[in-house]
Amino acid sequence: MAPKSSTPASTNVVQTLWKAYSDHTSDRLKFIDAFLFFLMLSGIAQFLYCILVTDYPFNAFLAGFASTVGQFVLTASLRSQVNPENKNEFKEISPERAFGDFALGSIVLHFFVYNFLG
Amino acid sequence: MVQLRSLFFLTVGLATRLYARSSTGDSVLVIVEPNKQDNYSVFFDGLKEQGYELTFRAPKAEVPLVIEYDVPSFAHVILLASETKNFAKDITPQSLVQLLGKKTNLIIALSSKQTPLSSLAAEFSLALPPPGTPLVSYFPEREESPQVIPVSVQPNSIISSNINPVWFSGVPHSIGNNPMVVPILHAPAESFASETDGGSPDALVDASERGGEGLWAGSQLGLVTGFQTLDNSRVTFVGGADVFSDEFAQKEISKGVPCGNTAFARDVVAWTFQETNVLRIESTTHHRVNATEPSEQYTTNDRLVYTAYISKYDPKTSNWAPYSGIKDLQLEFTMLDPHIRTALLPVSGNLGKYSVTFRAPDRHGVFKFVINHKRKGFTYLTSSMTVPVVPPRHDGYPRFLSAAWPYYMGAISTSIGFFLFSALWLAGDSREKKAKGHKAE
Repeated sequence: MAPKSSTPASTNVVQTLWKAYSDHTSDRLKFIDAFLFFLMLSGIAQFLYCILVTDYPFNAFLAGFASTVGQFVLTASLRSQVNPENKNEFKEISPERAFGDFALGSIVLHFFVYNFLG
Repeated sequence: MVQLRSLFFLTVGLATRLYARSSTGDSVLVIVEPNKQDNYSVFFDGLKEQGYELTFRAPKAEVPLVIEYDVPSFAHVILLASETKNFAKDITPQSLVQLLGKKTNLIIALSSKQTPLSSLAAEFSLALPPPGTPLVSYFPEREESPQVIPVSVQPNSIISSNINPVWFSGVPHSIGNNPMVVPILHAPAESFASETDGGSPDALVDASERGGEGLWAGSQLGLVTGFQTLDNSRVTFVGGADVFSDEFAQKEISKGVPCGNTAFARDVVAWTFQETNVLRIESTTHHRVNATEPSEQYTTNDRLVYTAYISKYDPKTSNWAPYSGIKDLQLEFTMLDPHIRTALLPVSGNLGKYSVTFRAPDRHGVFKFVINHKRKGFTYLTSSMTVPVVPPRHDGYPRFLSAAWPYYMGAISTSIGFFLFSALWLAGDSREKKAKGHKAE
């Protein structure tokens, strides 16, 4: 392949990283990663709105931001518990149990968020 | 002879019923030396014709008392005893001020002699010249003595506009800075206060060399001045009792032109005895814009409507008629300082009604609707209504703030994302199990 006009080394590194990621992660983990990416975008958007425009109903900002951050944390822990490569770390926790914990934690998080949203 | 004449006037007055009545009462006490009483017969008959009941008393007589057990005995008092130095025990400057505080109106005549009443005038910001210096004017040329002076009358809110010049003899006074003083008649520009024997021309020359200092002269001097107290009682200081005398009333100003003394006295009495320029606030109400009854309390940022009804006394019909002629009435919505100060405008089509709509300020607290309208010559209008203004209740705030929509959308999208994710995850799980099951078989 002919070398690229922009910095070839960094572009190659990013491409290799992406290729390795998409080859070696299972579909379900990629699905979780897509959800995590969406949550991160949502959180960043709310944070930028708070800084640049107004933080006027501050409780609403905290509720919305905490919603995305909390959901991110729960989904990340689901991903690490469900990943077959981590089976040795989580011997007593089956994937189903992990998903159950994830669902329960999320419900409680959403309850708090909607109460604080005002 | 005089008794017959007054009897005639009384019957004529009763028969024709043409009188202008005072709004505070008809009983008048006249304190005058008995031997001088006949000099003022025209004036007294005019008063009786207007409907006043006169009671005469010598200055040293003990009865009738002006005030008894803190209750004034008469609605109005005229003191024409301007040269008496010793009064009865109940006529002192302090008792006269007490009468004013109890809403009795006074007409007080001054003279160039030093009496207890001269010090009273000083309490009302009117400074008298030294004793023994009446007003003197050598212009216009006339046969009368220089101390009998024709004074032209400038119309103002108290004096009607077409009164002939008035004969005056007495003392001037200088008018102080008090806003409650209402000047009625000013001295002519060429007059000055000086000793009766001509004095020494040196005094005049000295004073003019010092730039007029110490010289009581000019049109800034007042001859008849009124004062309206904060209780809305009125007192008029007249520089000399001769303004009311028969002799001056019948004197002509010039050939064939009668003087204006009777008409002037009529107008002065009408103002002082609360016939003219008398206003009052009938009632005031307040309510929210779409309500009709006043509320116990209002919320911040409420739109409020305040209404005042004001009437003016009509002396010819003796009753109070609604009056929409006040153009600069003002309302203050005050908590320590006026938060709102707005014009209270008359409502067209509704005589006597003044109304304004405004938004209560964003501060909570105890506010007052205050009307404080003081104009020279008119009754002072004061009114104050206290009303609490509370912050909104916990459910009085807007439910969804438009500034917070990004946060609402963030929280909702997270919830929707979570539900979709778990639905798809479980669907993928069951598909994997089916595949595993098939593989196992």
